[in-house]
Amino acid sequence: MTALPLGGFLALSSALLGVGLFGILTRRNFVLLLIAIEIAMNAAILNFVYFAAFAPVPALGLTGQEIAVVLIGFAATEVAVGLAIVLALHRLRGSINVAQATDLNG
Amino acid sequence: MLPLVPIVLASLLAGTVATFLAGRWARWVALATSAVFLAEVGGMFLSYSGWPGYNAQSVPGFAESVSYPWIRLPWMQVNFTVGVDGISLVLILLTAILQIATVVYSWKETKNPAAYFGLVSLTCLGSFGVFVALDVLLFFLFWEAVLVPMFFLIGVWRGPRRRYAALKFFVYTHVASIVMLVGLLATVFYSGATSLDFSAVAAAAPGLSPVVQTFLFLALFFGFAVKFPIVPFHTWLPDAHVEAPTGGSVLLAGLLLKLGGYGLIRWAVEVLPAGFLHDRPIVFAAAFVSIAWGSVVSLAQRDLKRMVAFSSINHMGIVLLAIGLDSSLGLLAAVLLMFAHGIVSALLFMSAGTVHHTFGTRDIPAIGGITPATPALATMIMAGALASLGLPALIGFPAEFTALLATWNGLGYLVLLPLGILVVTAAFYIWMMQRMLFGPPRGVPLGIHDVPWWEGVGMGLLVAVTVLFGILPGLLVNVITSSPVKGFPGT
Amino acid sequence: MAVGVLIALGESLSPGTYTDVRFTWLHLPAPPPGHPGAFPNGFSLVMGTLVDPLSALMLVVVTVVGFLVMLYSIEYMRKERGLPRYYAELSLFLAAMNGLVLADNLLEFFLFWELVGLCSYFLIGFHYERPAAASAAKEAFLVTRVGDVMFLLGIFLYFAVYGAKGPGLGWAASGFLFVQGNHAFLAGVPAGNPTLLTVAGIMILGGAAGKSAQFPLDVWLPDAMEGPTTVSALIHAATMVAAGVYLLAVTSVFLGFTAFDSLLIVALGGITTFFAATMAVVQPDIKRVIAYSTISQLGYMVLAVGAGFTMVGLYHLFTHAFFKALLFLAAGAVIHAVGTQDLFRMGGLRKRMPLTAAAFAIGGLALAGIPPFAGFWSKDDLLAGVYSTLGSHPAYWPFFLLAFATVFLTGYYIFRAWFLAFSGEPRDPSLHAGHEGPWEMTVPLVILSALAVVAGLFVYLPGFQALLLHGGGVAGIPPVYGTTQLLLSAVGVSLAGGGILVAWALWGSGRIVPTPSAAPAAGMRRVLLARYGIKSAYDWLGATGVYTVARAADFFDRFVIDGAVHGFERAFGDLSERMRRIQTGLVSDYASYVVGGLLVVAALLLVVAPYLVGRFGGG
Repeated sequence: MTALPLGGFLALSSALLGVGLFGILTRRNFVLLLIAIEIAMNAAILNFVYFAAFAPVPALGLTGQEIAVVLIGFAATEVAVGLAIVLALHRLRGSINVAQATDLNG
Repeated sequence: MLPLVPIVLASLLAGTVATFLAGRWARWVALATSAVFLAEVGGMFLSYSGWPGYNAQSVPGFAESVSYPWIRLPWMQVNFTVGVDGISLVLILLTAILQIATVVYSWKETKNPAAYFGLVSLTCLGSFGVFVALDVLLFFLFWEAVLVPMFFLIGVWRGPRRRYAALKFFVYTHVASIVMLVGLLATVFYSGATSLDFSAVAAAAPGLSPVVQTFLFLALFFGFAVKFPIVPFHTWLPDAHVEAPTGGSVLLAGLLLKLGGYGLIRWAVEVLPAGFLHDRPIVFAAAFVSIAWGSVVSLAQRDLKRMVAFSSINHMGIVLLAIGLDSSLGLLAAVLLMFAHGIVSALLFMSAGTVHHTFGTRDIPAIGGITPATPALATMIMAGALASLGLPALIGFPAEFTALLATWNGLGYLVLLPLGILVVTAAFYIWMMQRMLFGPPRGVPLGIHDVPWWEGVGMGLLVAVTVLFGILPGLLVNVITSSPVKGFPGT
Repeated sequence: MAVGVLIALGESLSPGTYTDVRFTWLHLPAPPPGHPGAFPNGFSLVMGTLVDPLSALMLVVVTVVGFLVMLYSIEYMRKERGLPRYYAELSLFLAAMNGLVLADNLLEFFLFWELVGLCSYFLIGFHYERPAAASAAKEAFLVTRVGDVMFLLGIFLYFAVYGAKGPGLGWAASGFLFVQGNHAFLAGVPAGNPTLLTVAGIMILGGAAGKSAQFPLDVWLPDAMEGPTTVSALIHAATMVAAGVYLLAVTSVFLGFTAFDSLLIVALGGITTFFAATMAVVQPDIKRVIAYSTISQLGYMVLAVGAGFTMVGLYHLFTHAFFKALLFLAAGAVIHAVGTQDLFRMGGLRKRMPLTAAAFAIGGLALAGIPPFAGFWSKDDLLAGVYSTLGSHPAYWPFFLLAFATVFLTGYYIFRAWFLAFSGEPRDPSLHAGHEGPWEMTVPLVILSALAVVAGLFVYLPGFQALLLHGGGVAGIPPVYGTTQLLLSAVGVSLAGGGILVAWALWGSGRIVPTPSAAPAAGMRRVLLARYGIKSAYDWLGATGVYTVARAADFFDRFVIDGAVHGFERAFGDLSERMRRIQTGLVSDYASYVVGGLLVVAALLLVVAPYLVGRFGGG
């Protein structure tokens, strides 16, 4: 375990975050947007796992992994809610293009 | 020993909730609540008033003090601590008197009476809480709890610009509250107190360096002074009074302004003595400007309520001045004056309310010579005005006399300003009476009735209090001087 | 009345100082050690009674005149509305005045002093539906209020100077009493700061000037004639205006005045005496003539107190109370009978109202100082006393001369009024024919007439003399008649007689002498009727000066202070209007704001914070 360099893992999660953010900023399709959010979120979950593994005190290390599990659960919930929104949006407008859903503009 | 203060708090809370739920019986529930409250407070007050005599039973420390653990954090203990001393006891008595007077005065309120009486009770509950709270968090909770019912009282019932006035009131006082909260929390954290109890904070905070105290005191002063209010942060007050229903005006002038004075005495002057001493020039400047401004601007007002509102600014300016003097005489004067102003301004606002719904206007030049048609109303107006301008045998006199004497002792010839302003204060009241009460009748419709009985009882109660404590101020003074505040022998 | 006279009789039998139970009205305990204040032993304000020769003398005046005025009111006010109010206020007025007279400390004095002012406000404005009465009441209240405020400051100054002094715990802790036991509390106390004491004396003088209508706070008294005549009689003879002189007397006895204050008091008294008399000379209103005569006579009393003849001043107050009440009640009888106060419309009333005419004449003779009437003895003693101080105080000369010249004017103006009202033939046929009133009105006139004749000689009664001799400032009691004094008396009486003769020559026929309109006399008359413009100046100050300032302040309040508030409101409104535009509703826009924010936070953490820590050092 300790042979693996932390920097490499961080680079991986940063890359994942970048991909996710790029997707969030550029996609107009709601489903693709949800996938991009998932990718960005997984980057964060990965970070929890890495830091838990590298924690100087093992007892504290468990906490990070627990949080990762909880976050996975959250991610699943979020996707469920997101898909429900997608369905509702589709029923309302016949399209899932987020660029058209601007009812909240001020 | 029975935990008296929590019992009173509980009875008031139960009464308030019941009033909200009572529907068309609300006024009876509110009356019962306020009667019970007055009885409890009156009993407490009498048991501490050693009058007459030189050696009143002094109450060392806070009486009726109880403390329950509330929130426990590793680094901070928050307790539910309440207690009273002479200063808060006098102000609680004021709260109880004003509550019952307001309820009786508003007996025939028809617009949503359950909400109206409930909000009145809630305001008094909040004020009571502020006066008994001896814990930062509790104090702030009650402090904010007063704003909400007052916001609705101003914003729902009467005047045409009520929404504007309510919003203005809320924004002003809320911004001030936030500054005050920041100041209080900063005081707690910088001083390293490990409990939010007043005793802990008051013990730790004076150890702060004077420079830090100076800034902290400024924050607290601003927070409390907007409630006073001081010029130039006063413009919410006349608007709120003009738009509020009479009961709202009464509580606003009688109680809310006193919260600022009480907060300043208890939570700023006592807690940050070095900062207070350093910032005294600012306090005096604010006081002098408010005294002069309130009185002079009153002279130009046409609306009776606006005139009384500006006279409140004048009187609360004298309170601020007396607090700033940092002497036991000044403190005594400040508390007496707060009590006096609470009763007298309530009386004046009630009579202004009666004028409004009897004559359809409060414009002073529009009505005149009302005395033959409504002698009782004229008497009430006269009693209020004379008490407010400091006539002996009424409650205003001992308060103003001690305040001015303390000012002379503390500031010397600077007393000439408040003294000179006394003439202006007399002038606008006497002129108002000349225009409204005397002379040939003008703008008096035929067939109007004099004060209805419920309003008469409400105002009569206040007149009785004004006369009672005007003749026997010793009743109040002995309670006040037993407080554990520096300069009084209670310490 | 009976109680008052009994107390006074007791005092005259065994003069001295008696105090009764007092109770603590307000008590501030001594502060704990380490909290020094202005009153290290705490302080008390008490309410108590003190009977001494001064108050006994005043009690007689207040109760006797009060009783007679009450009796007179029964008929005079019979047809008025609001009688319960009238009698309640009148009783409160007398009660307040008695309280003031019996007060045993300055604060209690002030308390009743204010109540006296309040009652006079109510009573002057008794006919509140008349705008003139309401205005006069306001004026009386406000002008005396100016005096009250000065009095209050005077009290503070005395408290400050003497508060820590005196035997025992000091003056403050024992309630600022005038006397302790049988001794003036401050007797033997070394005098304090002379400057403060002088200012305190000036302030007390200001208070007295407001209440006793001394120059330049005299404007309210003539206007106070709007009240019922009975009220005028009470205010002028026994209650309101006497309070000011009494205050000066009490202060001079118990606290003392500095030399400068004395000069100021003498000056004020002399000036007021003369100027008020000049204004009385041209008045067409019978009540106003008497009102100005009151101001003038009060000037004499102030003069006497200032020159150190306190008891002589009070003695003059005593005699004056009777003949002034007599004059007012007689004038009231005339007004009651004919229904006007205008002297030029009356005339010839002597035949129909012989008793009233005689009463008014007796009052006039007493006022003018013709022996053996009451006014002669006290005024003569007073002027002789002041004359005797001129050697040591040459600065008193001009004021003595003014006061002396006033004797002539007094004789003239009061008999001008008498001749106009009572001699000749009725001038205005539209008036009611005069007639005498019923017994309730005539009995007081008779009693007061008798007193106006003999009260001056009371000073030779042993008991009364003893009473006067046991007050403070007893110089001039009893009057001594050496050559100088007799000469002065002779000059004074001939001056007064001369005044009466001139009045008779001008007005004795009952004809109106037309005043040539272009003559300098007409200009003088206008100035006098306009009261030297003082009243207009006050009106201007109040209505234009102060009110304009108030309006300007109100404008500032509404449009500048509140305007700034609204400016803030608009600025925030504009700002939020602009901020609103960035809310496009587009999810990806919001996402980019989030990313932008993230980048800013990252930059703060990674770049700015390390730089700051490196620059200023971490902590």
